[in-house]
Amino acid sequence: MQQPMDELNSLQLIESMINKAKNRFSESGTLYIIWGIVVLVCSLVQFAGTMWFNYPPVQYIWMLTWVMLIYQVFYLRKKKKSSTVKTYTDEIIGYVWICFVITLWLMSFILIMNDAGKLLLASILVIYGIPTFLSGIILHFRPLIVGGISCWLLSLSTVVIKEPYHILLISVAMLAAWIIPGVLLRNKFINENSHAR
Amino acid sequence: MFKELDPILHSQLRLAVVSLLISVKEAEFTFIKEKTGATAGNLSVQLGKLKDAGYIDVTKQFKDNYPLTLCKISKKGVEAFEEYVNALQSYMKPNTDSKD
Repeated sequence: MQQPMDELNSLQLIESMINKAKNRFSESGTLYIIWGIVVLVCSLVQFAGTMWFNYPPVQYIWMLTWVMLIYQVFYLRKKKKSSTVKTYTDEIIGYVWICFVITLWLMSFILIMNDAGKLLLASILVIYGIPTFLSGIILHFRPLIVGGISCWLLSLSTVVIKEPYHILLISVAMLAAWIIPGVLLRNKFINENSHAR
Repeated sequence: MFKELDPILHSQLRLAVVSLLISVKEAEFTFIKEKTGATAGNLSVQLGKLKDAGYIDVTKQFKDNYPLTLCKISKKGVEAFEEYVNALQSYMKPNTDSKD
């Protein structure tokens, strides 16, 4: 890399290095898939437990999300250790998901404290759509954009669907917004990283 | 009038490093070495020159008991890079004009 350069060489070198940094696709989809499966299982178990077995303690299945949260902390710490570069994209997506978690907790708390619990699942669907859609835009990944829009359409459908079935809309949202895009992201990640080697 | 090209940036490896760092928030030494294909010794020397010019910030840390060098482009580095690209464009323009 020490040959004399003319102006054209310089511009070509700049372009090639910027492309090398830009083409690095770091989102493996792992957290989308695992979170999607955890929430899908919880929502289906809650639906079955309350509708068919009339067993209210079934709601404790949601404790699984706390286990998942602990796993996520370890997963992200490991990922950070193995990563050799920090991009602006990674940082922005990280902040988008932090906003999502804060909004989700605040919204759930406010709705429950104001005896508006029946609006909880519709609100959760609206909130699910935001980080999913934005991640899709930032990563230029259409399945996530479609997933985000699906969440918003599903939230609209709560107006016509009876309340006990709202939990099933969460299951559908998980498939459309996180599990399917997550699998597609994983395929893209494996593909691009095998080409890069 | 042609603008003078910044001699710090007008070197293949240093220009490659700055072009890489302009696209990311920060990068480890190993990442820059892999993307530029430079040897560790040469890269260390060129990073030192960019650091001395104030174009990049270099932070040394430890990760799992191994030394870790993190590089990040500085504000001065961004300005120098923009000026360098502008100067290159002023060199290229007369050529493209003459083709038309």
